[in-house]
Amino acid sequence: MPKTVLVVDDSPTMRQMVAFTLSSAGYQVVEAGNGKEAVGKVNGGTKPDLVVTDLNMPEMDGISLIKEIRKMPALKFTPILMLTTEASDDKKKAGQAAGATGWIVKPFNPEQMMAVIKKVLPA
Amino acid sequence: MSTDLSHFKDAFFEESQEHLTTIEEGLLQLEQRPGDIDLLNRIFRGAHSIKGNSGMFGFTAVSQFTHKMESVLDQLRSSQMVVTVEVTDLLLQSLDCLKALIDCAKSGEAPNDELVSALGARLEACQNGATPTKTVAVTAAPVPSHATQEHHYTITWGPPQYLFQRGLDPAQFIKELGELGRVKIASLDTSRLPGLKELDPEQCYLGWTLEVETVKELKVIEAVFDFVRDDSTLTIVDRPTSGAPASAMSDGPKPLGEILVESGIVSQSELNQALSQQKRVGEILVEQKAATLEQISEALKKQSDNAPAKKAETPSIRVDTVKIDRLINLVGELVITQSMLSDLGSRFEMSQLPVLLERVAQLERNTREIQERVMGIRMVPIGNAFSRFPRLVRDLSGKAGKKIHLILSGEETELDKTVIESIGDPLTHLVRNSADHGLETPAERLAAGKPEQGIIRLNAFHEGGNICITVEDDGRGLNREKILAKGVKQGLIAESDKLSDEQIWMLIFKPGFSTADKVTDVSGRGVGMDVVKRNIEGLGGTVSIKTTAGKGTTFTLKLPLTLAIIEGMTVRVGKDTYIVPLLSILESIQPKREMIKTIVGKGELVNVRGIYLPLMRLYDVFRLEPELSDPTKAILLILETEGERVAVMVDEILGQQQVVIKSMEQNFRKIEGVAGATILGDGTVGFILDVRGLLNISRNGTAQAA
Repeated sequence: MPKTVLVVDDSPTMRQMVAFTLSSAGYQVVEAGNGKEAVGKVNGGTKPDLVVTDLNMPEMDGISLIKEIRKMPALKFTPILMLTTEASDDKKKAGQAAGATGWIVKPFNPEQMMAVIKKVLPA
Repeated sequence: MSTDLSHFKDAFFEESQEHLTTIEEGLLQLEQRPGDIDLLNRIFRGAHSIKGNSGMFGFTAVSQFTHKMESVLDQLRSSQMVVTVEVTDLLLQSLDCLKALIDCAKSGEAPNDELVSALGARLEACQNGATPTKTVAVTAAPVPSHATQEHHYTITWGPPQYLFQRGLDPAQFIKELGELGRVKIASLDTSRLPGLKELDPEQCYLGWTLEVETVKELKVIEAVFDFVRDDSTLTIVDRPTSGAPASAMSDGPKPLGEILVESGIVSQSELNQALSQQKRVGEILVEQKAATLEQISEALKKQSDNAPAKKAETPSIRVDTVKIDRLINLVGELVITQSMLSDLGSRFEMSQLPVLLERVAQLERNTREIQERVMGIRMVPIGNAFSRFPRLVRDLSGKAGKKIHLILSGEETELDKTVIESIGDPLTHLVRNSADHGLETPAERLAAGKPEQGIIRLNAFHEGGNICITVEDDGRGLNREKILAKGVKQGLIAESDKLSDEQIWMLIFKPGFSTADKVTDVSGRGVGMDVVKRNIEGLGGTVSIKTTAGKGTTFTLKLPLTLAIIEGMTVRVGKDTYIVPLLSILESIQPKREMIKTIVGKGELVNVRGIYLPLMRLYDVFRLEPELSDPTKAILLILETEGERVAVMVDEILGQQQVVIKSMEQNFRKIEGVAGATILGDGTVGFILDVRGLLNISRNGTAQAA
């Protein structure tokens, strides 16, 4: 069974790139355009093995999403990676405090992203 | 694994356009609602997305510049700075610069570095109180892997208790280290383990001491613990198994700065500071007061304006997935209908005729719906074309010293993407025209008893199979006498000509026509209105004017929804079928004998309610064998284009249908009076009449005959 990754980003380009990289690597990808949509997907039955989320999003931002996910019994221990820009060190802290596993720093190339994912998602 | 993301570039550029629009609209609204935090957030998100995405494609110039804009926006967002006209101006200028940078990224041209750094400096200076953060260039150089030296690391790691709550697993860390070299668990630290009663199975109480033998450098080992380093107790002791310390390894000469830093003569921060002082010509000139910042900006703008034409872009369109899903649904239905038909065909009996007819009707329904949906895919809201106007009007009101309030409505009206792309310029001309000629100065308005602030209203709506766009102002209205006088002076009309108001207004669309007393920066150069008309007609549309002196002027553009399909009237001449664009048909009449007059040298005329129109016998134009040669027995179609009318004689009106235009030029050659061809229901080819062309023939054709 391929592992499912929930990719959350309001920028379609970024979402598509992450999704494309992941599906090329054999993962199953579920996309959401913001935190609210992501919560909806999870409530609708998606059980991701990993969540990759942007932080700055309309409707529900990444930090709130991370908090929401951590509240769900089924996803309590699911790795969550946030997509951040190099300048946002306090964002990383805030994300971690909310329960994020780690981060992927933008810009990244597919290899870099897969390296981080391999760190947190057991093969 | 190497995955190429470059084919997402188009998506990036397209998305960036949307963000740019969001930012621009946001900034303009911000002036009215400076405290709107939602708005600021929206603007910020736009910039943030561009920054993040552009970095992904290596457009560092874009991401670095956006970063500076973002910083200012962030300060506005967090109320560390207030929205002022200066800040908005700066941000708008920066936005233009950002647009240019993105265009450069797209075309591969070198960006205008000096403008970028000049604006960048202003953005940095703008962040009051904040220390200008020098973006440290990200060194993309990979860690050289020539360090073949064995290291022996001893790692003592006490992970934070919340480890599991963050989706982390200690085994993952050990596994990752295992991929870097040989790992041995030296000891397990259970000192933090509480009694069974207090033990929370979801907490991590253990710690490890690990021995790792690897050729990797220290920072690679450290990177393994990136996500937990802050809250872990972590010590990594490196004991090289042989030779000198790894850091001494390097190849090639080092930059001067690096050597100075290493030998302790200067510190890294001193070096960075020195490097940041390297300036560009423009900055130096400004400093020496040889030129002002504005002059430099202007010059740089000129430089970028003169840049060679950009590469042609491959057009793409983004379609709502809902639209595609519906289409797929319909195609499914079509397939079902088709299989039902072929099933029926394989064992058809005459008794089943009603069933066949029903199926065919269903097929027709399916086809029409699919046609509509496919056209719908090319449909985009006109709001995209409107979005440039708030900015334009803001700039224009500043330049012309007028107060202008722009009202947009009907932005959701959809029309063909090609049409939208082509109406941008004509609309801009019209809006400029309204702002410059139409609206009066505040003083004039007050004197005329009008509110100081003038109104320009842009509206779009559907009307039949067309879309109408109106540009309306509440200004002084067109001046009949002035236009007439100018028309006579330019020899466009004779003084004795009796012209209807409509015809007079149309004069302003003549090339070279301008009544503006003085040429301003905005308009009045006499170029524009004729181009507007030509462009709109090129799209198969029409322009009309309604004006009341002292009350204002309304320009109405009427455009077809799409360029590929027109609503046409099929007519017959002899044995041939022609299609007349429905848009241009005013009425059809059967004239009485006394309505027809023949004038020597001018051909035949027909009197339609007091107005004489040229009469064209279509069979004469195309040299056909008619069934009827007596106008009183045949049908006259009164056609209009650009305010001119002509009566075209045909044998019979057959009906009305949508036709798909096939180009004549591409498939054969251009024929005067024919706009294109189409395939009719019976499989024959029908020509689509070009009313403009017919009018030309009616004018010149008589001359030829003479």
